[in-house]
Amino acid sequence: MRAMYLANYFVAGCIASSFLGWIASLHPIAFRAIAFLTAAAFTVWCLCWLLDFSVSSLLKISVSSLQAFLLALLAAIAIGAGVFLCS
Amino acid sequence: MQLKMFVLSGAAVALWLVPLTALDKRIGWHKSMQGLTLCAAIACAVTAGNIAREQAEQNEIEEIKTRAITADVVDEIATSAYISQQQRQQEAEQILNPREHLERSLALSYSENEESEPITQKQLAEPVAEPEQNAESERAERALQLKAKGWGKAKIILEVWGVTKGGSPKYKAAEAEYKRLIEEGGE
Repeated sequence: MRAMYLANYFVAGCIASSFLGWIASLHPIAFRAIAFLTAAAFTVWCLCWLLDFSVSSLLKISVSSLQAFLLALLAAIAIGAGVFLCS
Repeated sequence: MQLKMFVLSGAAVALWLVPLTALDKRIGWHKSMQGLTLCAAIACAVTAGNIAREQAEQNEIEEIKTRAITADVVDEIATSAYISQQQRQQEAEQILNPREHLERSLALSYSENEESEPITQKQLAEPVAEPEQNAESERAERALQLKAKGWGKAKIILEVWGVTKGGSPKYKAAEAEYKRLIEEGGE
């Protein structure tokens, strides 16, 4: 059951990523906003990856859990964006 | 609940993939439909995830309960085995050496009360006439020893009578006897 809820949240992440792509396709200004948001999120992602020990102690989770979460987030964004771009 | 979760998961995936692949992005209302279905898909996926998380937490609680019950049963079995072993040991001691017990109990009663009559060889040679009294005096001796060591009442009752603390009639009887023996020993 734990795997089911993790999978559901992963799918939710993928769909959210596709939704952001859809918003970006509405208007050039929306595209810029989403591009800025993506760049900021990527910066935060990199920082979290570099400062994994500090962030894990801040969030009170293990380092391996944090790394798994970061990888899952990256995969969800890549899959969602890929599905939107290829459709 | 599980069926609902599976339906919501399936609906989320369908609402995500089908409109994106089937509808044309260049047509206005198609694009709007895509946005709506994506929103609905996110809602379905999050709801399904929440249901699955609740189920997982309930399963975890059930597992903890099962583990606690198992540990309790194992503990009870171990305690009863320990107590029965002690009882067997006491019975075996009583059967094997009744004369020594009599001597010890008589010696105790004599030392506590100097006015009582001295023990004669004839008395010592007699077999155990009252095993119940004998066992009681042994319990008293043991309880006093343990009390002198600083043991608590419940622990002494468990050690000497083999009864765990609670509201059972056995425990109440043992407690009453313990109080009586301690009072007698204190006099």
